[in-house]
Amino acid sequence: MWVSTLKRYAGIVFYRTLAGIKSEGRQNYLGYLWFLLEPMLSTLVLYIAFSQITGKGGPEYVVFLILGMITWQWFESSCMLGATAIKAKYGVLTQFNLPKYIFPIVSIMVNTWKFLCVFVVILVTAAVFGYTPNFHYVYLPGLMLLQLLLIIGVTLPLTIGATLMNDLLTVVSSIFRLLFFMSGIFFDASLVPENLKSLFYANPMAVFIESYRAVVIHNQPPQMSHLAEAGLVSMAFLALGMILHAYYDKKILKLTNA
Amino acid sequence: MPDPAMTPLITLDNVGLCYRPQRTIFSRTKKEIWALRGLNLQIYEGEKLGIIGRNGCGKSTLMRVLAGIYGIDEGKMLFSRPNVHVELLSLGVGFEGNLTGEENAILNGMLMGKSRGHMLERIDKIREFSGLGDFFDYPVYTYSSGMNLRLGFSVAMETDPDVLLIDEVLGVGDEVFAAKSEAAIKEKFSSNRTVVLISHDAETIKRMCGRAIWLEKGQILAEGDPGEVAEKYHTGAHQYKI
Repeated sequence: MWVSTLKRYAGIVFYRTLAGIKSEGRQNYLGYLWFLLEPMLSTLVLYIAFSQITGKGGPEYVVFLILGMITWQWFESSCMLGATAIKAKYGVLTQFNLPKYIFPIVSIMVNTWKFLCVFVVILVTAAVFGYTPNFHYVYLPGLMLLQLLLIIGVTLPLTIGATLMNDLLTVVSSIFRLLFFMSGIFFDASLVPENLKSLFYANPMAVFIESYRAVVIHNQPPQMSHLAEAGLVSMAFLALGMILHAYYDKKILKLTNA
Repeated sequence: MPDPAMTPLITLDNVGLCYRPQRTIFSRTKKEIWALRGLNLQIYEGEKLGIIGRNGCGKSTLMRVLAGIYGIDEGKMLFSRPNVHVELLSLGVGFEGNLTGEENAILNGMLMGKSRGHMLERIDKIREFSGLGDFFDYPVYTYSSGMNLRLGFSVAMETDPDVLLIDEVLGVGDEVFAAKSEAAIKEKFSSNRTVVLISHDAETIKRMCGRAIWLEKGQILAEGDPGEVAEKYHTGAHQYKI
């Protein structure tokens, strides 16, 4: 029985995600075209900003920055959207008996779809700058899956916390801001002092950003030991999230002020 | 009256549920609000149970407990068999404005516990019953509120739960659809489905239900024949404050 229930939840997530994508596509005159136009625009903006303002310039630095930025954005915007998803769907959740993780995961998946579109644009941009697709691209799906695991892992406890206490969002967005500067988006990991390296790599986002760059720019496999660590951190968050959801699933709507 | 020898489908034993509203460090609202307390109730297979009570008496909370949306804080809730599908009749909740009536019908049915296949098989019936015509293929944001209700109702009628919980909605929409929807609800009442109907209107309960309870401050004040319960409610309801 629980298998069919799980299948139904997976179906809800899948079709809600499709619906979310369709729904976004229908909001604008240009519709689905925006899934490609928007990343092209933002890539252009980042290119103009970074190639002109930073003294470094050069195609390598631009691709380097853009890869870091979009990887980070996928993480941050998914977590923040997912964190508020229970409150946003309060009206639906008080009518239907649904697990509370469904809508956060739907937000994450819609956002992931957008990331994939962006990523394609970035790969094309990289190719234009001379970083043509290489054999190590086979690592990309695995990398994305691992990052998705981290995103879901961080979002699950966060959405419970933010539903119970709104204040948490403000604190977390500050923490994200801090991580944004510490994940090596603007600098290469080789610039991190030796004694701080283990701390730097304890942040899974730093690991992921470096891994994408290794594959796309340097035509190298990612550092497996770092990825294993990042995977462990993701699993820890995921476990915490599952415990919290099991405990609060039937309680949280009675405790919130949505 | 149900046969006392019958085993109830759902048993609530000394059930209590409390809300703990969030507080800030500068304001103090009540710490705990017990919406249900010491509630004992049996719901029998196939019966039509009416719940009558004033605003804030715990009716909607009770429905959400039965539907499995809220967990209880005290007591026990038991089902006589596993996998009893209890569903709250809700109209148009969770519709996505940018999706068409058809897309929303399928998604909504899935939220109510049905598979996509189940909904796809019934989509023509839903289209037919809703009477929305071409609007069924239009985005829901183009609908009037009445059309929204029509669609929501038509979907709900195709989800066939074991126990249907109805909160004050009988006839919805304009005159034409109200007659149709009330007839559909009555059909649910005449089938062997278990139905729980909430209302603050005693007449509706008398007309539709085989047994009734009067709920006040989360407890049952009277139980039994709808006529008698309604009578007690009429004479007694005024002495209670929210």
